[in-house]
Amino acid sequence: MMEGNMILLLPMLCPMAAGILVLTGKVFRKNRSYLTGLSTGVLVLEAALTVWALASGGSLTVLRLTEQLTISLRVDDISRLFAALTAAVWLLVGIYSVAYMSHEEEEHRFFGYYLMVVGVLMALNFSANLITLYVFYELMTLTSLPLVLHERSREAVRAGLKYLFYSVAGAFLALFGIFFVAGVSADLTFTAGGILSDEALAGKEGLLLVSAFCMIVGFGTKAGMFPLHGWLPTAHPVAPASASAVLSGLITKAGVLAILRVVYYVIGPDRLRGTWVQTVWILLTLVTVFMGSLLAYREPVMKKRLAYSTVSQVSYVLFGLSLLNPVGFVGALIHVVFHSVIKHALFLTAGAIIVTTGWTRVEQMRGLGTVMPKTLTCYTIASLALIGIPPASGFVSKWYLASGALSSGTGVFSWVGPAVLLVSALLTAGYLLPLTITGFFPGHDFKGEEIEKRKLAGKEPSWLMLEPIAVLAAAAFLFGCFPGQLISMVQSIAAAVL
Amino acid sequence: MSDIILALPVLFPLISGIIMLIRPVRDEKWNRKQELFIEGLVILNSLFVAAAIAGSMSGERRLVVFRLYSVLTVMFKLDQMGSVFAGLVAFLWPLATLYAFEYMKHEERKNTFFAFYTMTYGITMGIALSGTLVTLYLFYEMLTLVTLPLVLFTLTVEAVRAARAYLYYSIGGAAFAFLGLIFVLGYSGIGTSEFVAGGMLDMPRAMANRDTLLLLYVLAFFGFGVKAALFPCYRWLPKAAVAPTPVTALLHAVAVVKSGAFAILRLTYFSYGAEFLRGSWAQWVVMGAAMVTIAFGSTMAVREVHWKRRLAYSTVSNLSYILFGATLMTPFGLAAALSHLVAHAFMKICAFFCAGAVMHQSGKTYIYQLNGLGKKMPVTFACLTISSLSLMGIPLFAGFISKWNLAMAAFDSGSGLGIGGVAVLLYSALMTGIYMMTVVVRAYFPRLAGKGEKPGFDEETAKTASQEVTDPSWRMVVPLVIFAGAIVVIGVHSAPLMRLLMTIGGEAG
Repeated sequence: MMEGNMILLLPMLCPMAAGILVLTGKVFRKNRSYLTGLSTGVLVLEAALTVWALASGGSLTVLRLTEQLTISLRVDDISRLFAALTAAVWLLVGIYSVAYMSHEEEEHRFFGYYLMVVGVLMALNFSANLITLYVFYELMTLTSLPLVLHERSREAVRAGLKYLFYSVAGAFLALFGIFFVAGVSADLTFTAGGILSDEALAGKEGLLLVSAFCMIVGFGTKAGMFPLHGWLPTAHPVAPASASAVLSGLITKAGVLAILRVVYYVIGPDRLRGTWVQTVWILLTLVTVFMGSLLAYREPVMKKRLAYSTVSQVSYVLFGLSLLNPVGFVGALIHVVFHSVIKHALFLTAGAIIVTTGWTRVEQMRGLGTVMPKTLTCYTIASLALIGIPPASGFVSKWYLASGALSSGTGVFSWVGPAVLLVSALLTAGYLLPLTITGFFPGHDFKGEEIEKRKLAGKEPSWLMLEPIAVLAAAAFLFGCFPGQLISMVQSIAAAVL
Repeated sequence: MSDIILALPVLFPLISGIIMLIRPVRDEKWNRKQELFIEGLVILNSLFVAAAIAGSMSGERRLVVFRLYSVLTVMFKLDQMGSVFAGLVAFLWPLATLYAFEYMKHEERKNTFFAFYTMTYGITMGIALSGTLVTLYLFYEMLTLVTLPLVLFTLTVEAVRAARAYLYYSIGGAAFAFLGLIFVLGYSGIGTSEFVAGGMLDMPRAMANRDTLLLLYVLAFFGFGVKAALFPCYRWLPKAAVAPTPVTALLHAVAVVKSGAFAILRLTYFSYGAEFLRGSWAQWVVMGAAMVTIAFGSTMAVREVHWKRRLAYSTVSNLSYILFGATLMTPFGLAAALSHLVAHAFMKICAFFCAGAVMHQSGKTYIYQLNGLGKKMPVTFACLTISSLSLMGIPLFAGFISKWNLAMAAFDSGSGLGIGGVAVLLYSALMTGIYMMTVVVRAYFPRLAGKGEKPGFDEETAKTASQEVTDPSWRMVVPLVIFAGAIVVIGVHSAPLMRLLMTIGGEAG
């Protein structure tokens, strides 16, 4: 029944099996060291399996639901990029969670679903056709839902349901497009440059554009794109910090991956260039970029602020994709990596602050530099990268995005786009840096009574938490200094699809 | 005489039921032996059905029971579409009966209940095996009468009201269907009302009076549509949710309501013929009605807080998925309609049985009472989750396959309204997500009390937490698990089923 390279199944099945084991085995509820030992062990194994699968390459047909509906996996450059990123970041956040989750209840449920989600994400990254992508996209929503619901407070349950309903609505919107595409082309295997033939499309061009738009907006839900972004600032902050981190840093990227596959590997960029779909898409991403930053700037609660920042930043990526030219494409894909790394560092910092001090609002965090100077330094490096100060990583991606826009030939957007990016960068500085400034330089009137009373001074989080933050912050910086390898890889993808 | 096997599945349960009524067993004397006996009867009858289906594989079989006069022939015939429906019902009935024994354990008048329950099996088989429209009509009327005592069973005020509504709606609907029947007979090209794949109208004559015939088609569609809970004749179905769960699950999610849908398929593809109807105004009217019902049913389900009534509204919506497929009037449309007929049967009976299991074990009937039950009844809620995901149309479950087929058929038909129908299907899928998943989330993730509330759980959760609730006994769990398993099997491997359905569609469209 299965044909192809069976190794591709391992990164998917191994964590899923481990997740189910953790959820059902009573021993993991009683004995914490078994739980954390197994979880980190599986995550390390997962990283190794991913490398193995990526190195061995090839493809695999897993299941045939019907004649047309095939579940199959395949390794290409896009899946290499996303899978490597996922495995690495998931491992780091997993290590962080071992320390972080000791403050939460029902840890086995967190780790169980945390492991299952990575299995689903890997399958999503390895998807070889649109059906497989859709299957695992839905499964990702369902397996990540318990992470949002984890705290089970009134807010968490509401946020979880909101997350579910928005995601499902988005997925069904996209499904309309998938129905159309499947009706036109029997084979839905991703092919660089698109799979649709002119003969099959004859007379259905209008419907094709509607379908493409449905898929972009539908999958854009996961990426927090306006107008279906509403769930993101509600759902991300209520989850435990490590879950917020992966929800913001990686699961939003699944929406990006889906749009990328649809536009560049199914429909084909040439069919959208210059149409109303492209215009509206660019407009939506720019609105999202600006709106996200503005809302983040006005938001006092740190995790919510970071969630709004995600809304804005993921639409940088979508903006790059919507330009439909190679430079913008490169900018988008490297921003996927950079934003993921940076946003994980920031959310993990927020979690560390909550665990150590219990502070959630930014104005409470005056004098944080005396409490956890190392953590705050990492935070500052990541912030500078996100704002786009050279030579940190955000600068490189924004450079590509802006020059992509200038050379895109999209009329007014070719200069409005860079202008919006610039304003958004200023706002980014405005919402990220106050923490650094008031943290290290609280001012003369700051006595630090609370810090003294609770003996918080110099109380860095445990090394299990600090290490991942430091690694991510360092990566955020170093990627900017040495982006050559990554860029040349992404450029070769761009050359194939455009 | 070997064709007598076609009459057996109809007559055997009917006669058994009548004997049970004539020689009743009182509740005090009711024991395992009676149950074993009834279960044996039902399984034996399912074997008859299997034999009949196996027999008809080699070639079509027909059995003329009697002729009133030349045109009014009561005849049994088993073709492939009949086999699908008969096979489905025959698979579900023994399991539902097993479930019913446990469910009815504490009820009175068990003998009456099981007598009518068994007789319904025979009547439903009669519909599946009908060879002519007259036969179908006959059994359709009988189905109303034989299921009425089951709706009435609890004898509460609601039950009486529900039964009355059910009776009026069904008789009224049948009257409309009767009009359609007369005209089909009048214009029949073969002298009788025997079902012929592709339609039996005498085309030249029919085309001359096209509009009259189309009007009568619409009337008959709505007439049979009453049993399929088509808007605006849906009201009896949510009301009938007061009946015992084995009735609501098997009859009001499968046997009765799908008889309505099945009758419409027979009327459309085997009497009038899709070719005659395709592109006519009648097609747009009935397709529009199906689309309205889909959207309406799922929206009402979201608003409903009584669990079984919510599921009943969901049935209203889902039956019109089948009718939507049917009204596409294409071979693929028929195949898609049949695939949803099969898929929905498993999903909805599974969901109803979960609701029934919860009612039986804990007495809870409203959605807001379900907080935290997931941990206490793990098997039941695992099955409910599978059924919910399937109803939503999440891939790897049966519901996705049928929804996929319906949408593909709609795009394939090339009609603008059909594509609008796909949008309606997706809207309904979202509503399904809302009305099913809120239950699942409640059960597994009971809310903890927030700030300003008493510490610990909120009120309903606390009540549940203090209750002794467990999964029901094996007689309920086994059917549940089998249905959930069937949903997954159809979901991941439906190629053989689809091949069969496509052949049916190909012949009849």
